[in-house]
Amino acid sequence: MNLSYRIYYVFYRNLISYKRFVLTTFVVSLGQPLFYLITFGIGMGAYMGYFGGKPYLNFLVPGVLVSSVMLSSTFECLYGTFVKVTYQKLFDSLIATPVSAEDAIAGEVAWGAFRGLISGSLMLVVATFMHVYPVSIVNVLLLLVLMVFIGILFGSLAMIVTSFAPNFDFFNYYTELIITPMLFFSGVFFPLDRFPGWMKFFAKFLPLTHAVNISRSAFSGEPSPGLALDFLYIILLESAAFYIGIKLMKRRLIK
Amino acid sequence: MNSKNPVIVAKNLTKKYGNLTAVDGISFEIHEGECFGFLGPNGAGKTTTIRMIHCVSPITSGTVTVLGKPSHIDNREIKLITGVIPQEINLDPDLTVYENLMIFAKFFDIPHIESKKRVNELIDFVELESKRNSKIDELSTGMKRRLLVARALLNNPKLIIADEPTTGLDPQARHLIWERLRSLKSRGTTLLLTTQYMEEAEQLCDRLMVMHQGRILKEGSPRQLISDEIGREVVEIRIAKEEDEKLIAQMADLACGHERVGDTLYFYCRDGHELMKKIVDFNLPNVLNRPATLEDVFLKLTGRSLIE
Ligand SMILES: Nc1ncnc2c1ncn2[C@@H]1O[C@H](COP(=O)(O)OP(=O)(O)O)[C@@H](O)[C@H]1O
Ligand SMILES: [Mg+2]
Repeated sequence: MNLSYRIYYVFYRNLISYKRFVLTTFVVSLGQPLFYLITFGIGMGAYMGYFGGKPYLNFLVPGVLVSSVMLSSTFECLYGTFVKVTYQKLFDSLIATPVSAEDAIAGEVAWGAFRGLISGSLMLVVATFMHVYPVSIVNVLLLLVLMVFIGILFGSLAMIVTSFAPNFDFFNYYTELIITPMLFFSGVFFPLDRFPGWMKFFAKFLPLTHAVNISRSAFSGEPSPGLALDFLYIILLESAAFYIGIKLMKRRLIK
Repeated sequence: MNSKNPVIVAKNLTKKYGNLTAVDGISFEIHEGECFGFLGPNGAGKTTTIRMIHCVSPITSGTVTVLGKPSHIDNREIKLITGVIPQEINLDPDLTVYENLMIFAKFFDIPHIESKKRVNELIDFVELESKRNSKIDELSTGMKRRLLVARALLNNPKLIIADEPTTGLDPQARHLIWERLRSLKSRGTTLLLTTQYMEEAEQLCDRLMVMHQGRILKEGSPRQLISDEIGREVVEIRIAKEEDEKLIAQMADLACGHERVGDTLYFYCRDGHELMKKIVDFNLPNVLNRPATLEDVFLKLTGRSLIE
């Protein structure tokens, strides 16, 4: 792995070009999660009554928040990176400078994570207006750290997919078959405890399940059992995905 | 200038893509301060060779060094001192002209204040002041190529590699690029240039090698190549093929080489004068006597048939 501080330069390049798209991307990254909050949270919540002593919206917000981080970083490292690699030839010009292929790819993942962090933070602001927020400032910070971790995790996973994607349509398989189902099997919209055993077992392998657990603890201030394991699982999976993502993408870039 | 310090030394440099051998064990040296050209048709392996030299393409076997340092895919040192004008325009379409250069300067660790100064100088150098804040897709191809030249100079490179820098340009834009490259050469920068244009090679290169199918066919100065391969003059005669034998026999005592390609019979001579005198007697309609050019060398070496 030929990584260096130049990762930051690649991140910075994205930040400069992002200036022009800031408003549109705000709208896009807020759209889907906000839609979930309103339809499920307010619409369905009206029928659901209370959930563990709190309104359904309180149950829903922590999960939707991490989902929005997941979606933003995923899309950035699928579509965003693909465009830069194939249509814009951006990576070709990058690797002819002292920026290595690894720096360039890691910079993209970092950028994806940053986009996730922005989406998650926006959700946090929106939720605060809906009177749902973490119990303390420390928990807000914990939540921000969690968002960065989730962003890197899903950015790296997306990078793996991008590394062998022949075209845009290929991404549909990943988003429709993995990302969207993950939203429904990770306890974002309803608790997992009434699922049959095999499904609960299956859900344990989904990284989003663990992210939702941590997020929910951060909001409620009541650490759920297995919090340390949740973190451990995310970090392990993230390290593996980051490493594999860089290796595979480098193979695509350097021939 | 032209002290014989080698800047690039390649030994048995080879590149394979699967079963295809793109570069087939070539060896050459490029000296400090010279302009060295790779001349060859499409697919000859020019770009592949160049990409191995500046460390963006893995070497299959053999070696190449730049200022004594071995090229390999992770060698940042070589990238730091090399300026690359790529064959394919890969400017950043999300950024303006100015931002393109500023960001690139950052990749080379150039401090912000210094970048600003250098970027302004370079925008002047390639005459893009009026396009400073334009996006890339608002530029003509010639302007994009000029911006690529400016971008390649940001790090004050010791070696400039230009891969077909004028392909697709109109004559005005081409001459401007040539002029800029010559002015770099006069400052002592070593230049490696690939081209399919003979005129470009004659204008710019001190020495060149003709590449074909991954191999080096000939190497030398343009003048030397012409006199070795062709002579000084060429006489083109457009006559029916059936007449060849008779005509060639008539000219046998003049010691000219000849070649038939398509509808034309070519004579390659030291001095075309005698030949012309004889030909006038034959009263042939389509005869042209002209100085030999690099194009004759190129076509003779790489074949006159179409290469796809
Ligand atoms: N990435 C690649 N994968 C497979 N073959 C390639 C690749 N790049 C170039 N080639 C092949 O290598 C040969 C040399 O190509 P290239 O170096 O681009 O030639 P030139 O620059 O002289 O036109 C060609 O046959 C080309 O098709
Ligand atoms: Mg080429």
